[in-house]
Amino acid sequence: MKSSNEVVVTGWGCVSPLGGNTESTWSRLVAGEGVRAPITCIPVEGCRVTDGAEAVMPDLDWLPKKSISRLSRAARLALPAAQEAMADAGILDTNGRSIFPRLEMSLSTTANGMELGEEFLKGVWAGSFRHQTSRVSRYPAHQQVADLQQNLGFTGPAMVVSNACASGANAIGHAADLVRGGFADIVLAGGFEALCELVYCGFDCLQALAPDQCRPFDTNRRGLMLGEGAAFLVIESAVHAAARGAKVKGRIVGYGHATDTHHITQPDPTGAPLETCIRRALVQASLQPADIGHINAHGTGTPFNDSAEAAAFARVFTGNPAPRLVSTKAAIGHTLGAAGTLEAVFSLLALETRRIPPQIHTSDPIPEVAGWLARPGEVLEKPVVLSVNLGFGGSNAALLLAAA
Amino acid sequence: MRDPISILAVGVSCPGGTGPAALEAQWPSRRVSQITNPAITREVATIDLAAEPFNRWRMRPRLRRASPLSHHLIEAVAQILEARPDIDLSRVGLVGSFFIGCLVYSVRFYKGLTTDGRRFASPILFPETVVNTPLSHVVSELKIGGPVYSQTGDTSCWSTALRTAALWLANDDVEHVIVAGGEEFDPVFLDVMHSARWFGSRPEAGVSEGAGAVLLGKKSSQALAHITRIVDGFAFRNRAQAAKAADSLLAEFDPVIPVADTAANWTRRLAAKPLSGRMLSNCCGVPKFEAFTATCAWNTIRAVHSAEPRVVVPFLGLSQQMGAIEIFR
Repeated sequence: MKSSNEVVVTGWGCVSPLGGNTESTWSRLVAGEGVRAPITCIPVEGCRVTDGAEAVMPDLDWLPKKSISRLSRAARLALPAAQEAMADAGILDTNGRSIFPRLEMSLSTTANGMELGEEFLKGVWAGSFRHQTSRVSRYPAHQQVADLQQNLGFTGPAMVVSNACASGANAIGHAADLVRGGFADIVLAGGFEALCELVYCGFDCLQALAPDQCRPFDTNRRGLMLGEGAAFLVIESAVHAAARGAKVKGRIVGYGHATDTHHITQPDPTGAPLETCIRRALVQASLQPADIGHINAHGTGTPFNDSAEAAAFARVFTGNPAPRLVSTKAAIGHTLGAAGTLEAVFSLLALETRRIPPQIHTSDPIPEVAGWLARPGEVLEKPVVLSVNLGFGGSNAALLLAAA
Repeated sequence: MRDPISILAVGVSCPGGTGPAALEAQWPSRRVSQITNPAITREVATIDLAAEPFNRWRMRPRLRRASPLSHHLIEAVAQILEARPDIDLSRVGLVGSFFIGCLVYSVRFYKGLTTDGRRFASPILFPETVVNTPLSHVVSELKIGGPVYSQTGDTSCWSTALRTAALWLANDDVEHVIVAGGEEFDPVFLDVMHSARWFGSRPEAGVSEGAGAVLLGKKSSQALAHITRIVDGFAFRNRAQAAKAADSLLAEFDPVIPVADTAANWTRRLAAKPLSGRMLSNCCGVPKFEAFTATCAWNTIRAVHSAEPRVVVPFLGLSQQMGAIEIFR
């Protein structure tokens, strides 16, 4: 790679609809399991679709009960994922506090603690003053930043990027940029997203939600499934990791991002902006398409996204062996601001275990990627994985992750 | 940041008009009632998007239904591009910093689905509630081709956004970066400010809207001014911690450099102590209205245009974090 600072990953953690930690999530994901059930955590009666993938909420018994009751649902997802990542990287002391008093964060979310904002609005319209202070003060994204800092014992700069569904990849890419540019030695990067009424109804009114299973890259795909979750990674320079004796678990070797100005909610059907992202990431990593063994695709299961994405993949990988392709959104749903971070963790786990999660629910793949989709039990044969995300507003991002 | 960066051009959209001079104009204002208690009114200065000079974007097809925030941002960013037609747009990045975001359409969309029924939620409004939509409109209309980040946080996310720009420039990702701060007004925010006790003690600042933007590049002799330091990440959870954070933040800077008095809300009382031992600069003027990240942008622009050769501009975030920059002319 072109940079002077090699960027490594020394820990990760996640909470998803498949499990409350990385181990349970990954074991069910590679086993080909998926989650889809009626939504109960938010009101969805009256929507066209009422199913989705709610996260397995971990116990927060390490926090005082009073603190837990004040947390937004997003913070309840973010805290255990961040704690797991920090423990995995060996940067928590015996009291569960960060060994670094100042620890920079690069975060992503799109809806913050939205359920509290919704309750605040209902209270305002009802003329109620009860609990309004706690609702309004706990809603914004910077309050989830404060929850992480307060409960895991550190302070420091925090950047929250909200680039719609590409935010998670942006947060990780930004953390890698900070390390690569010498702006930070170690960064806690992560994304979190909780289901909420406003966003659920938004996708429902766009008729973007699948009435049955989410079928990425299938000719009969009918939409996405919303999910929720969080994932965090500890990203640092190789020098910093070596100096503290940390085990390197993976590397971030390339990052590309671009904006697609075709339409506010639909990608350029040619996939050209995504292709630009992937090629930028390849240049930064000094790699060729043939070096990539696996793609964790955005693959929402919507007609527009998957065809644009497949067109980009087909052009980038023309003349090369097809990488094994999967969209894990069929299993855990689309987690919006957390999607890029969860999928980066899955990509790193694929590199670590050499196992690729199978593509579920897709039986009739579109021609561009027919034969690419991962089957149960497949082994990763090359040490580089591509993870891509596309979002409303035209946000596109690509990460290249490599084995340790 | 490793190296100083230069401020090469600025843009402003505010209730006083467009361009930096509008910041010093008398802003039209009115009293607006809080929703929960109409007897409580607050002074508010807003932008009339139907009037000149703001209305030049209204007939653009993509902007007809766009949020007020989108209009404020595009006006501020367009002024920069009009001042610097020589820059390569394909090598320009854009970083937005937002505290409130797309509040007007978010409130309208949620009101619609809670009153008319979820099945009747508006598919036209929903995309306009997404935080990065305004910047998407801006890059689409103005043909900006570089990377785009929409960053959120309390008002201090302005300094975080400047740091992102410094990072992109240091890593040679782009040749120039436009950093924009913008906010839009909805009456519900008066209830937010009241509930969170952010208005502060009298004389309380009014609430405003608009945007400010700065064009940044690597250090250049053609600059309006240089940013020589960006310091951020002084977090707090309560007002006692906030006082300590303000102390620690200002201690990072050489005590002989004057500090701009920028506190316009509850942080005014908080800032009094740490500022008492410093040489104060009134280069940002007396803050009469608070427009959050837009105000941070405006304060930066005012400092650039002031007579102070060197000044620290603090961004005392409303509820979580503080940052500051050092400007050298």
